[in-house]
Parts: sequence; C-alpha cells; structure tokens
Amino acid sequence: MEKQWPKELRLSEAGKVLKVAFENGRAFDLSAEYLRVMSPSAEVKGHTEQERKTVGGKRNVAITEIVPVGTYAVRLTFDDLHSTGIYTWDYLYELGDRHAVTWQAYLASLAAKGLSRDRPGEK
Amino acid sequence: MVTEQEVLNVLRSVPGPDGKTPLPESGAIAGLTIRDGKVYLSIAVAPERAAALEDMRGRAERALRTLPGVATALVSLTSQKAPPETRVGPGRRPSVAGTIGIPGVARIIAVASGKGGVGKSTTAVNLALALQALGWRIGVLDCDIYGPSLPRLLDLRSQPQVEDRRIQPLHAYGVKAMSIGFMIDENEPVVWRGPMVMAAVQQMLRDVNWGELDCLVVDMPPGTGDAQLTLAQNVALAGAVIVSTPQDLALVDARRGIAMFNKVDVPVLGIVENMSYFLCPHCGGRSDIFAHGGARHEAERLGVPFLGEVPLALGIRETSDAGRPIVVAEPQSGHAAAYRDIAAQIRAALEQGRTREAPRILVE
Repeated sequence: MEKQWPKELRLSEAGKVLKVAFENGRAFDLSAEYLRVMSPSAEVKGHTEQERKTVGGKRNVAITEIVPVGTYAVRLTFDDLHSTGIYTWDYLYELGDRHAVTWQAYLASLAAKGLSRDRPGEK
Repeated sequence: MVTEQEVLNVLRSVPGPDGKTPLPESGAIAGLTIRDGKVYLSIAVAPERAAALEDMRGRAERALRTLPGVATALVSLTSQKAPPETRVGPGRRPSVAGTIGIPGVARIIAVASGKGGVGKSTTAVNLALALQALGWRIGVLDCDIYGPSLPRLLDLRSQPQVEDRRIQPLHAYGVKAMSIGFMIDENEPVVWRGPMVMAAVQQMLRDVNWGELDCLVVDMPPGTGDAQLTLAQNVALAGAVIVSTPQDLALVDARRGIAMFNKVDVPVLGIVENMSYFLCPHCGGRSDIFAHGGARHEAERLGVPFLGEVPLALGIRETSDAGRPIVVAEPQSGHAAAYRDIAAQIRAALEQGRTREAPRILVE
C-alpha cells in the first residue's frame, strides 16, 4: 500500500471526533470511541490476533491530548487514561478507509463476547 | 488566656457574608490564630464582594476587641479560592504537544552510525563546514552523550553564555556550535536513559539561540539503543546520514541504523564510507585496511544513496585533533573536496524536498 500522509489533524467536539484530512484528498471523521477501541497499543491489540481484546463501554470516551511522534505518527491520550497507542498515518488512513467493515466487526465482537458500548468491560 | 471558643462566641453577634447567618456558622472563617492576646482572623469572601463586606470586617474586629484579654484584633478578608480545575476528565481541554522543531531553523539532519569509532563526529563537523562553504547558514549540535567531541574538533574551550534567558551558541569557522560536552563533566561517565538524554537535547534545541539557520546538523550518539531511538522519534528530522567504515562488522551495525530510521519514517539521505582506504604518506601506496567498497554495495543493496568515500588519512586525523577540521584547514585538498562533494549531494537531496512536512494538528 502506498504511504498515506495527512495534511491536517483536527480534534473537535470537545475531543469526541478526530478529523483527519489526507493529501490524496480524502478526509475522515474518526470518533474517539472508534480510535480508542481500535488502539494499536499492545494493551488492546496484544501480540497476536488471538490476544486482541475487545474493549467495551467507551461510547463517551474523549481524546485529551495529541502528541506527535516523529513525523510519522501521533500518540493519543484518552480521558480513560489510555495513552499507549501510537497511530501512524497509515493506520489512521486504514481506520478511515475501512471504517464500515471494521466498525461492524467491532460491534459483532462486542455482541459475541457479551459486552456493550455502554458498559465498561473487556474480553 | 483567650480561647477559640470565646472568640467564636463573641463573633456570633456579627452577621456573615450573606448578611444574616452568624459569622461562625457561615463557613466563611478561613483562619483563626490567637497568640499573646492578639487575635488574627481571616474571612474568605468572593473577591468582587470585598468592598461591600468591609463593614462586616470592621464589625468583627470591633467585636473581638470587646473580649477581655484581647489586646489587638486583626480581621482580614481573603479571596475565596475558585474551585480547583479538575485535571483529568471530560472537562479538560485537549492539548497538543509538539515534536521538537525550532522556529528559524529550516531543517534538522542527523549524522549517525550503527557503532562507535567509525569517524561519525569528524564526518559531521566536516560536512557541516562543507555545507557552510556551499553557502548555507549552519549550526552543529553535538548530542553524543557517550563521547561529545565537538569541543575538541572545533577547538572550543569557552562556556556558552546566557543572554535574555537564552543560551548563546559558540561560533567556530562561521558555524554555530553547541555540545552536550558543555553540560557534563568530561571525566564523568554518562549513564543516561532516553528521557534524560531527551531533556538535555530539548534544552539544547529550544533554549539555544540558534537564530536563522538553513540546516542544523545533529551529531547523534553512536548505536541504535534507547537514547538514539528517542532522539530519532522526538526531533523533527528532515533526514539522516549514516557513517560507516567498509568493514563488514561495521556495515552490519550501519544496517541497523538504517532500519531504525526507516522504522520512524526519517528519510535516510545516504551512506558515507569513512576510512575507505589508506594512502601511505611515505610511499603513496594504497591499502584497503577495512576492505573497500563495502558501504557502496550495502547502499545499493538497501536502496539508499551512496554519498561518497573519505580515506583514512593522517591529514584528516591531525586537523581534527587540532580543532581545525580539514575542510577549513586545507580547503584545496582532495579530502576537503570529498566532503564538499558529499555535502552538495545532501543539500540537493534536502532541497528537492524529499522530506515531508508533518501535518498540522489543531484542537478546536
């Protein structure tokens, strides 16, 4: 995949939405909840696909801090104090590009594990 | 002896800030001290109501003075503390911290090596001076915590001065220079982890008065450890130059260095082969002490530019140790030309703008 490069990252709606505009003209509104539950941190992703955790109860999470990492990524801090995810430009693009599929998969995974968007808990 | 209870009893006759609740019950008493017949009382009020409550203050003072045993009474109004802002939580304003760039400095490049002893610092200084000879305004920043060599290479002995709370860089041969060597004792071993290195580097980037520069050349610590990775991640680097000897052993480490910069998306501007060959000053014979051409092959293999080779030469070593790098000491020499040629390629690569600007980050 060609490397994607954003022009602008804009945090709006009091940290609830991260708007990312890429140089190729595409722009995505990524919700803090979506970014949080899809965090690339090992705490969420684990080290293998089997280890991946499904995180529930993040409907109202907000982003409190954006810290650039080099020129290739940002580290996001959420108001539930999760701050170990480093989101590369490519990953943000992928999250935007594949939002429909990824989000449905997340909802299915929540249901399968008996979790909900409103009740804290992870499996 | 005046007791606290007596004081509070007599204050019952004074209405509190709301004009009716007796003062002791109003919750407005912020402090009470009784010492040697002196009573000090402070009443917390909203700052904008201080003038209106002056009458209450006077009444409290007069009431206290009626108490037997009270020599003096001092009542003061203190401003009510606003409820402390919660530091975490939805109400907190999202913030943006920055990767370290420097206003006025057009680009920052790193000179790095996979291992020590390959002549990285000598190369960094000569490249900086060669870039300056090409007309760029240049600064050199020596971040090599393990062996800061800039002071010696540029014969800088004085300490940087502080003016207007900004550290003034030293000047040598037309370039501005700053070294971690000015901040640590030469005879003390440095045992720093990444965060400590970063703190020192941050200071040298942000608090040094670099002024307007076309390029700041950063001499990195050798290796690919924690400190190096932290630097590569946090300084907004426009590119990196890798220095290696042609020896296989060194090239293995150079490969690691390149891998590290690739990992953090810092473009590798190319490889310089240092100590490429040895020209005997007596017989003119050439010896390929560390083998030859290894860096060129490695560069081809890894798909990064090969920037050039610099021989192992007595002249370079002597001028470096004497604090007069060969690019300025013997500008007509072939060695100086080799550095200028490499510098020209670096400048061309940087001007082509192969490096990309980090995106704007905004918080609404």
